[in-house]
Amino acid sequence: MAVPVVVEAVWVFWPAVNSLWLSLTKWNGAGPPQFVGFRNYTSMASDPVFRQALVNNVIWLVGFGGLSVIGGLALAVALNRPRRLVGLYRSAIYLPMVFSLAVTGLFWRVLYQPDGVVDSVVGGVGLGAFAKQWLADPDTALWAVLVAAVWRQVGYLMVLYLAGLKGCDPTLDDAAAIDGASAWQRFRYVTMPQLRGVNTVVFAVTVIDSLRTFDIVWTMTGGGPYHSTELLSTYMFEQGFTFLNLGYGSALAVVIFLLALGFIITYLVRAARQEVI
Amino acid sequence: MAGSMVSRRGFLTGAAALGGAVALGGCVSGGSSSSGSGSTGKLTLQATLSTPQPKKALQDIIADYKKQQVTLNFVALEQFRAQLPTYLNSSNPPDVLTWYAGSVARDYASKGFLLDVSDMWEGSGACAKFSPALKKLSTDDKGRQIFVPTSYYWWGIFYRKSMFQKWGVEPAETWSGFLKLCRTLKGKGVVPLSMGTGAGQPWVASGWFDYLDLRINGATFHRDLLAGKHRFDSPEVKDVMKAYKELLPFIDPKGKSLDVTQAVTPLVQGKDAMYLTGAFMTAAVPKDAADDIDFFRVPILDTSVPVAEEAPTDGYFASAKSKHVKESKQLLAYLASPAAEQKYIQESASSNLPTSPKVDTSKFSPLVQKGIQFLNESKDLTQFFNRDSSDELQTTADTALTKFLDHPDQVDKILTAWQADAERVWHK
Repeated sequence: MAVPVVVEAVWVFWPAVNSLWLSLTKWNGAGPPQFVGFRNYTSMASDPVFRQALVNNVIWLVGFGGLSVIGGLALAVALNRPRRLVGLYRSAIYLPMVFSLAVTGLFWRVLYQPDGVVDSVVGGVGLGAFAKQWLADPDTALWAVLVAAVWRQVGYLMVLYLAGLKGCDPTLDDAAAIDGASAWQRFRYVTMPQLRGVNTVVFAVTVIDSLRTFDIVWTMTGGGPYHSTELLSTYMFEQGFTFLNLGYGSALAVVIFLLALGFIITYLVRAARQEVI
Repeated sequence: MAGSMVSRRGFLTGAAALGGAVALGGCVSGGSSSSGSGSTGKLTLQATLSTPQPKKALQDIIADYKKQQVTLNFVALEQFRAQLPTYLNSSNPPDVLTWYAGSVARDYASKGFLLDVSDMWEGSGACAKFSPALKKLSTDDKGRQIFVPTSYYWWGIFYRKSMFQKWGVEPAETWSGFLKLCRTLKGKGVVPLSMGTGAGQPWVASGWFDYLDLRINGATFHRDLLAGKHRFDSPEVKDVMKAYKELLPFIDPKGKSLDVTQAVTPLVQGKDAMYLTGAFMTAAVPKDAADDIDFFRVPILDTSVPVAEEAPTDGYFASAKSKHVKESKQLLAYLASPAAEQKYIQESASSNLPTSPKVDTSKFSPLVQKGIQFLNESKDLTQFFNRDSSDELQTTADTALTKFLDHPDQVDKILTAWQADAERVWHK
């Protein structure tokens, strides 16, 4: 018991406390940090890039979370029944997960290039007028990155949900069918409640993954064009490690941490309350 | 419940004990990879090179150095940049480090981090015969030399000779001539200018900004502007943007999705005619087209402004806290020696220029020789936007200039926002 606690304390809690302290200082990595109170937090309020990043993070959380959960669940339900080549489909959909996010980013960057695959597909279905520089246009860049991220995440969530579906009791479903419940009703009122445990895991994974998203944005756009794809994580990296504003960078890290914590505690409290009832 | 209480208390005790231990040990933070350099009498050279050929070249040069044993560490650029203050400020720092000349080095010197190497710049010192422009560049605010430049490269408008012949056009020397050249090319269905500002590399858009400012307002104004002594929404900068706007119809819009190197491809393919970029672009040109690449000077807009060029300079500095001052200077002298410079440039297959006038350049390509002459003719040298200011100010330029490329009609609004962003950097 003592050993893991010690290891955890040294490698996790101590750095975390340190970063909390750093967020109250001004520090460029050289010399002693200079205590500035909450100035890093107040200057966030007037920082337009921070606001943009925050908005983008909300879009990302909802878009990335929503699309990958819906996609993953739909695929899991579709591929849950045994049929021909089902293993092949599952593997194919899970395959993108084996690439790192950075590789995924580089791969999609090629697809999005002018006259690239995406443009050809858009042109091929007669929507050639909509072909554009997906990653260079601030109106589409964030969504273009989001699609790439969902493409990778969806297989992962599918596997989680498949595992959850395997744990569902098929006799409940049969009983409901005999009672005359429609397919949707059976899914909504019989299957979904049994997936509650999986949902908690999926929710936590999704919130954490979307708040720590960094590599895919960094490789695809670097946060540009003009901060339109900036997320809190990329902005934190830029402030902390490119500009050496380690105090401000730490303050951003604390904000990300609080956001993650807030979401997850709210959810866990809600889930726990439902379980009691 | 009881169990969790115990574990919580256990955690708190453990955390407190360890916190103390870590706090005590915390003093030795930094310079992680440099440890062990001090007492053994070995020198440490901390370098950030990522491309294989230059890396190999530096390894070979150090292998040939017999005076002391040198430990050569390679660190990825982002990490190197972030750790640099820590490296320099640790109690047992790496002795010699690679970095850039100009404002960035001067900034560290003003904090007292850099070794004074003025003696290398006088008498029979290794840098004594280097050009006055390089000396000025390596001098800090107190008039001391703190940097040893070993190579630099030039910026110019690159093009393919055979393509220009095919289209029947010639390089232009004046602004009106250049715009006419662009119009002619566009009339022939060729995109006049390539510029790769996409794929996370918006800094490329600063190339034209820097040059137009140098041509219209001169190098002194440009440096002062980047240092915060002038405003980005001043009439002078508005003139620069007016000239930049004249170029916009000729710039390849697809460049917004390409990075600095990828944008060389349309030039090689003959789809785009010209590209204002650094001499490093030759590394992206296939071998069979290499001899076909030529460049010309960015056209003159105002003949009364002394001609300045961008010549980003790389080299080395040493830590003020180095425990081996004499040996570090010997290593710096070796790295700046004609033989080492020549070996580095030839092995790394770059189009970099040597800083030592004694390097035998006869074996370098005609393009590089033209580059040497080109820079020798210029009255003043600047580095590039980020090197003349800071990486942080560079991002304000990136935001402003890429927005300008998309919305040139909002130029006044963009410049006002740029000034506000820049002030946040200057007065933090």
